[in-house]
Amino acid sequence: MTAETEVLTELRRLRARVPQLTGALAASADGLVLAQDTVDEGAEGIAALTAAALGVALRLTDATGRGGFRELLVRGEHGYVATYAAGGSAVLTLLAESRVNVGRLHLEARRSSARIGELVENALVPDESQPEKEVRPSWPTPKLPSRKPPH
Amino acid sequence: MANTEAALKEATTLIDGALGAALVDYTSGMALGTVGGGKDLDLTVAAAGNTDVVRAKVRTMEMLGIQDEIEDILITLGTQYHLIRLLRSRGANGLFLYLALDKNRANLAMARLQLRRIEADLEI
Repeated sequence: MTAETEVLTELRRLRARVPQLTGALAASADGLVLAQDTVDEGAEGIAALTAAALGVALRLTDATGRGGFRELLVRGEHGYVATYAAGGSAVLTLLAESRVNVGRLHLEARRSSARIGELVENALVPDESQPEKEVRPSWPTPKLPSRKPPH
Repeated sequence: MANTEAALKEATTLIDGALGAALVDYTSGMALGTVGGGKDLDLTVAAAGNTDVVRAKVRTMEMLGIQDEIEDILITLGTQYHLIRLLRSRGANGLFLYLALDKNRANLAMARLQLRRIEADLEI
C-alpha cells in the first residue's frame, strides 16, 4: 500500500470512530493536500487555510514559550475545526459537528495524527534505509515542507 | 459549599475504595477536574467515554418517550464499580460526577449516598 492510501485508510478509520466528523484531511505543513475524506467544503482551500492558521499558531506558541505546535481548535456556531500536528511536516485537520464529544475527538485525533506522522515520515525516508522501528513522534517546528504532491 | 477540586478530593478520600473521580461536561466530553486515577485508570479517557454513555442514555429516554431525568448510572465490572451522577443544581446543567470504586473495598449504598451529598454541596 502506498503511504497516501494508508493515510486515507487512517482518516476513514478515524471517521468511523468519531461519527460526528463531517470531514478529515491530511495536509503538508505548507498547505498541500496529502489525503482527504469527504471534505465537502473543498479540501484544497481548507489545507491552504490550515497552513495559514498554522503559521500564526506556531508564532503564538513560540512567542508565549509554549514549545512546538501540537493542536489548534476553533469553534464556530455550527461546529468545530481542529488541526493536529502529524509528525514534523504534516497536519491532520478535522471538521466536526457542534455536538461532537471534544474529549473523544482529542483522544482519537491525537492517536491518528501520530500514526499519520509516522506514515508521512516513513514515506520521506529513502526506501532501502527505511528502518522498521516504532517512531515516537516528536513535535518539532514544521520547517521542512514536504513537497510530495499527491498524484 | 465546595468547589470542584475540594468536592473531588472529598469523593476520593471519604468514600471507601475510591480509585478516582472526575467532574465532566458532557456537552463537550471534557473533564472540568479530575482527582486520582493513574496509569490503570486514565480519567481523561473515562470522561470522554462516559460522556458517550450518558448521551446514549439521554437519547434512549427521548426515544422511549420517558419524561424523566437521570439521577445516576451504575456500571458493575468484575472488580470495580463505576458511578455516574448527573448534576441537577442550578447552573450545573450538562455536568456529571464520575466515580470509580474498587469493588472489594467499596460499600455501594454508602458510596451512592456520599456522592449524592457531595453533589448537593458542590458549587460550580
